[in-house]
Amino acid sequence: MQLEDRFMVSQDVVAREVGGELVLLDLASGQYFGLDSVGGRIWELLCERPHTLAELCDCIEAEFDAPRNRIEADLMALAAQLCDQELIEAEAA
Amino acid sequence: MQWKPEPPRAQAPLPTDPYDRWVSPEGECMAEFHRATAGILIRFPEQVDFLLSPHEGETEFTVTGWPSPEIDAKTAINLYHNAIEPILGNHSGGLFLHGSAVRIADSSTGKNDAAAVAFLGLSRGGKTTLAGSFAKAGHPFLTEDVIDLRLERGQYWLQPKRSKLRLFADSARFLLGDDTVIGDADAKQDVEAGESLPFAESPVPLRQIYVLGTDHSSDLSIQRFSMQDALSALMPHAFILDVEDRERLRSHFARIADLSQHVECHALDFTRNYADLPRVRDAILDQYRSR
Repeated sequence: MQLEDRFMVSQDVVAREVGGELVLLDLASGQYFGLDSVGGRIWELLCERPHTLAELCDCIEAEFDAPRNRIEADLMALAAQLCDQELIEAEAA
Repeated sequence: MQWKPEPPRAQAPLPTDPYDRWVSPEGECMAEFHRATAGILIRFPEQVDFLLSPHEGETEFTVTGWPSPEIDAKTAINLYHNAIEPILGNHSGGLFLHGSAVRIADSSTGKNDAAAVAFLGLSRGGKTTLAGSFAKAGHPFLTEDVIDLRLERGQYWLQPKRSKLRLFADSARFLLGDDTVIGDADAKQDVEAGESLPFAESPVPLRQIYVLGTDHSSDLSIQRFSMQDALSALMPHAFILDVEDRERLRSHFARIADLSQHVECHALDFTRNYADLPRVRDAILDQYRSR
């Protein structure tokens, strides 16, 4: 996975904010997934349109107080998890 | 909604594979959902075939039911009320869950406040017996199998359903006494509400939900769910007609998410043993009154 990779949300996922966190349900598998406030913001951005991981890092760096290298590492890890769960998918080139 | 019972007929094999199934924890198929030319056919094996034929707009349906020759009319009627009605209720934007409920008066406020406590669980999970146990102790039951909720004035109001409990022989004897007359020892009996098992006839606000665990030998335990966990705990207890209808699933997810933020939700485990029920009831009442 590279920072230049572009991702979009899966059509089979519904999301709802519950108690300050975002809960995702994959309608195809029936699996649930929870996202904290930063994860929820990333999800919101991906729902607007497909983004590269670098673009997402730029947004999070502008909105949250955290060093760039940590944002990149956390975002790569989250994207890998979301991909594994088929909640997001890479946009076709 | 209209309901047309037809004469009994044997369940012939269907030409389609089901697009959805309800399966018990033991792996038994409780219901199969098939697409048919005239709508959706829901088969309760060896019990009833229901054909749900949509009118224009797909919010109103004509329901036709064919009971199997070996079942009685009451079973078909119960399945209609306890499965088909809530399925169609959710399909048209309502909020129905699979569970029982009781009304608990709260004398501590001095205002005769009363609220509902609901018990969600799988079939044969003990929710009807638990509701009956509360009724026997003076807390009237509101429903034995279908939680029908209406959001009004900022609260979820639980609607009373039919004034009967469907109980197996051992549960009926536990609740009503050893001399209770049992028709068929292997089938559920309709037990009407009465002095010993009171029924609540008016809607009351829903205050707490308990989701019954599937381990029937577990020790007594009550754990409050976070709102997020409540959402995923409640969803499997909804009645869904068409799991491939993404738009309706999205709407339903939103309604359950709202419910999980308005009503306390707990995981309830206990040993399914009649002698333990008073202790389970007291623990729930303590939880209810401590909020």
